[in-house]
Amino acid sequence: MTIDATMTGLARPQPRRVVVAELVDRSRKRLDTLSDARLTATFEDLLYMERKRLERAPPEPELEGHLDDLAKALVRGGRSDRMDAALGVIGLWGDEIHGRFNPRVYRGATRVLPRALSGLLSGRPGRLRDWSLSSQSRLRVKGNLPLLAQLAKESTLVLAPTHVSNLDSPLIGLALYLAGLPPFVYGAGLNLFSNPMVGWWLGRLGAYTVDRTKKARLYKDVLKDYSVRCLTTRHHSLFFPGGTRSRSHEVEPRIKKGLLGTAAVAWQEMLAAKRPDSEVYIVPLTLSFTLTLEAATLIEDHLADAGKQRYIITDDEFAQPRRLASFFRRVMDLDSAMVAHFGDPIDCLGFPVSADPAERAEQAIHRRRYVTDAQGEVEWDAQRDRIYTDRLGGALIDAWPRYAEVLPTHLAAWAAWRCLEAQVGSTDPFRLVRTPADGRHLDRGDYLACLRTELQRVKDGGKAGRWGEQLPNTAEEVLEVALDRFARYHRSRALTTADSRVFVQDPKLCLYYRNRLTFMDRENA
Amino acid sequence: MKVGILGGGAWGQALGRLVMAAGHEPFIAYRDVRPPQLLRSSKVPTKVAAECELLIAATSASELRQAIRATQPGPQHRVVVAGRGVEPDSGTWLTDVVLQESTALRVGALVGPAPVDEILNGGLCAGVVASRFDEVRNLLTEALHSSRYRVYESTDLSGVQLAGAVVPVLASLLGVARHLQGAGVGVHALVLSRGLEEASRLAEAIGADPRTFAGLAGVGDLVAAQGREGHPHFDAGAALARGETDQGPKALAATLVGLARGHGVEMPLTEALLAIYQGLPPVEAVQMLMARPAAAERS
Repeated sequence: MTIDATMTGLARPQPRRVVVAELVDRSRKRLDTLSDARLTATFEDLLYMERKRLERAPPEPELEGHLDDLAKALVRGGRSDRMDAALGVIGLWGDEIHGRFNPRVYRGATRVLPRALSGLLSGRPGRLRDWSLSSQSRLRVKGNLPLLAQLAKESTLVLAPTHVSNLDSPLIGLALYLAGLPPFVYGAGLNLFSNPMVGWWLGRLGAYTVDRTKKARLYKDVLKDYSVRCLTTRHHSLFFPGGTRSRSHEVEPRIKKGLLGTAAVAWQEMLAAKRPDSEVYIVPLTLSFTLTLEAATLIEDHLADAGKQRYIITDDEFAQPRRLASFFRRVMDLDSAMVAHFGDPIDCLGFPVSADPAERAEQAIHRRRYVTDAQGEVEWDAQRDRIYTDRLGGALIDAWPRYAEVLPTHLAAWAAWRCLEAQVGSTDPFRLVRTPADGRHLDRGDYLACLRTELQRVKDGGKAGRWGEQLPNTAEEVLEVALDRFARYHRSRALTTADSRVFVQDPKLCLYYRNRLTFMDRENA
Repeated sequence: MKVGILGGGAWGQALGRLVMAAGHEPFIAYRDVRPPQLLRSSKVPTKVAAECELLIAATSASELRQAIRATQPGPQHRVVVAGRGVEPDSGTWLTDVVLQESTALRVGALVGPAPVDEILNGGLCAGVVASRFDEVRNLLTEALHSSRYRVYESTDLSGVQLAGAVVPVLASLLGVARHLQGAGVGVHALVLSRGLEEASRLAEAIGADPRTFAGLAGVGDLVAAQGREGHPHFDAGAALARGETDQGPKALAATLVGLARGHGVEMPLTEALLAIYQGLPPVEAVQMLMARPAAAERS
């Protein structure tokens, strides 16, 4: 697919040195506003964090040279010496962060990759030739796609998905392709680039580099600068506002606002420059998977409450080629194994965006007054913008569950967990996952009654997107489908049946899949 | 700076005087009675909104929703509610009423002792403005702070609004305690200290800062309520002690009890006031409170 130049700035890549110079310049301007004391503290933080990181990282001679210069400048140099050394580090960071998108590679890749990926998703290579990307996809794409295509032409989009699996990024890429949307840039962990082949493709298809081992505050600022730069040059961007894969499998109930806040900054920069295409719209995207590749590792991590310590999990199922192949072979050959539901767009303050062009133009004029003075000039106020971003975050947290697809595995596990809670007499998940096997047998009749009630609750919810086409009409069918799905991939099953009873074979997996629906209880609270 | 004031009653006029004392121009939107000519005013609230970026709502809590609908503040406005914290019927925070009824986002609350007659006669006073937005606090401080009126700033919007809602209830309870036959200064002290403690518990439960109650919005306002004749809520308490239940903060008490129950917080004094409104004789309410089991002072 040729990239439509009206739809994305990716069609007009700028030389790397220009981009890096701009990042350095943005940092210089921000650092110039700091007092000597704060500047020193910022640079000390940079020096300490980077040297600490380098203790466990491969040697980086150029970086170490700049750090040595900075250390000397902090001891006996002046403000400008310190600044020069720090900007040297920032230049290296900028070079590392900046993506290597290549329109020609993208064009070639879009001829091959969707077919290859869809072949993987079909599980039957023989179907490759006649595989229709739109109608038979194992990845179902939902939402007001014509509106999003229109908005991609007239504004800049930020895609804000829920985060379930490491497979999210390539699947979102496929979903964007199926939806007729241009490619989005996104931050990919530096660890993913360690494989030269994967890194080459990631960079040239729109990924930029995020090194989560870099803890210096200044590094986060440079990342934000890069994001602002991407947005102001009309690179539609993808952020995972949850920050990392949801360990518990809950639809994210809270978010990290760092990169999300760059949407408001970019919008105001474009307003200040009197750009006609200054609007930045945020598109919630909820991903729903019948089964999750890394479910066992993620729920274990969640229960160990080690999510923070193991922020970057490098030894999960995603890193095991056999498990990955098994997952594709056994799971993806299912109708609606995955659903990507694009939500209605919202603006940088969390207000809905109209589908009507005239009304949308009026909204844009109205919206500007939240950040401009009586003369229409932008009033910069980072504190105010943080509150606006909080509001946007709240709007996303409200929106994601609306587009969540209730799938049989989720609902069957949800009902089983409810029965288990009643049987054990506790709602404490830590107690429930330790329940001995003989306490995890559920009476089939009671279980089906509970499942029936919950099924009806989903139906009655009636919110857009909830009711998947693949969710059967009866509790018996939901259980049957769920049991089939659970048996396909995981080493132990969340649920099985034995002697006319339903058995919670692996309570951790059961907890993982039931957690996807916790929003139902939040809504009823 | 032009400062819009919604409400031309005594409180609106007092705020108008304070705005003038701070060297700015008040512009009052009134509904029924036109304020004195010294204070510029209009019966058309949208006219006030068109001229002023800062709007201070000085209506009663029950009239705020209507005032905001009539004024239609927009994205450019900073709206500060100078009222009693919670809308009586719905239990909605007053700043949330503004958010519900307009497209304004930058909101705040002004709470504190407001002896209107003293302010109108040139008396000295102070208040606390709370908002999450620095610019709202700064603007309100600029508009009101003078040698006559000190403005203190807080980021604890929930706490300040909660204090604004709690003080009328506690003032009424103090009125009951002061005028109940046989109740001396000991009961008065008990109600004051335990009332602040239960309010602090609720504050903590809703994510507000309990220390806010030690400030102008809490203790400050309460001292003003009991320290002078004719305070409406204190007098309502006195009337309750006589068995007259037709005035005072009944709706506020019910709202607070509902809020507390929703957060699993005990508020025995507020519940007692509500029970008195519902027909429990005040003496029995006091006996019930005194019969409660012993407990730690700080829970």
